[in-house]
Amino acid sequence: MKRGELLGSLEHIILLALARLGGSAHGMIVRREIEGRTGRNISIGAVYATLERLEAKGYVSSFTGEPTPERGGRAKRLFRVEAAGKRALQVSEETIRSMSAGLKSRWEGI
Amino acid sequence: MKRDSPPAFACWLLKSVIPVTYREAMLGDLIEEYALRAPSSSPLTASRWFWSQACRSVPSMVWSWLRSWDWLISMSIAIGVYIAMGTLKLAADMAISKFVAPRPMTEVVLAPVVFLATTSISGCIAARIRPGVTIFLALMAMITVAVSIALKVCTIPVPWWYQFGFLTLGPLSVLLTPAVFRNE
Repeated sequence: MKRGELLGSLEHIILLALARLGGSAHGMIVRREIEGRTGRNISIGAVYATLERLEAKGYVSSFTGEPTPERGGRAKRLFRVEAAGKRALQVSEETIRSMSAGLKSRWEGI
Repeated sequence: MKRDSPPAFACWLLKSVIPVTYREAMLGDLIEEYALRAPSSSPLTASRWFWSQACRSVPSMVWSWLRSWDWLISMSIAIGVYIAMGTLKLAADMAISKFVAPRPMTEVVLAPVVFLATTSISGCIAARIRPGVTIFLALMAMITVAVSIALKVCTIPVPWWYQFGFLTLGPLSVLLTPAVFRNE
């Protein structure tokens, strides 16, 4: 992760979903995980576009699975978080933590 | 529509806009999820879900597609097919002029037949080469007709709806014929 570069909110959520799922997961599983945990009904298109971007940045990697009849003979593309992705998540988490430190008491006062 | 098969037009729409790199994976995900949803809910609910996913995915796909420069390849293919389409139409016009006497009424009747046949064939060819090319081809056909109308290429007086038919039905036949024949 380049210095000063932060993850976008959807990038952050998708990386977290992939990390939670462990191992490898395909786009629809990631979408379901996000919907189940946050209630956000994001489109599968947004998930794939973000995963593609994350792969270009080297934060995730993907490989193609076997085609199955229930998918109309189409193969799954499985994604997994790479070490750079884990580091990016840590940096983002630390940034958010340091930026929000001490704010809770102020918000309670509002 | 079969209970376990998603809406064909939505699939065609997605095939046209999803970048090649994850077209198969994303469509497979949607088809699998549809097959899981269809038995537990009504086909209408499952279809509505599929359509909602397709429509909401289009902006992300188009943006991603523009960023990947995939459109440049599609546009190049569309230009190639467009030139072939023009040649085919010219050949058809020349062949017809040999057998049919050139009368204004005959031309008014035959021109849309030749035009729609050419655009339909070109649409099918373009879709076979690469899904997504048909959008560019339809746009090119529409621009050509619009320019022809503006320049008054047709010397025979025709009603406005005749010209409007060319402007709308030509691009529509480019887009819809491949979906009807489901050869994409």
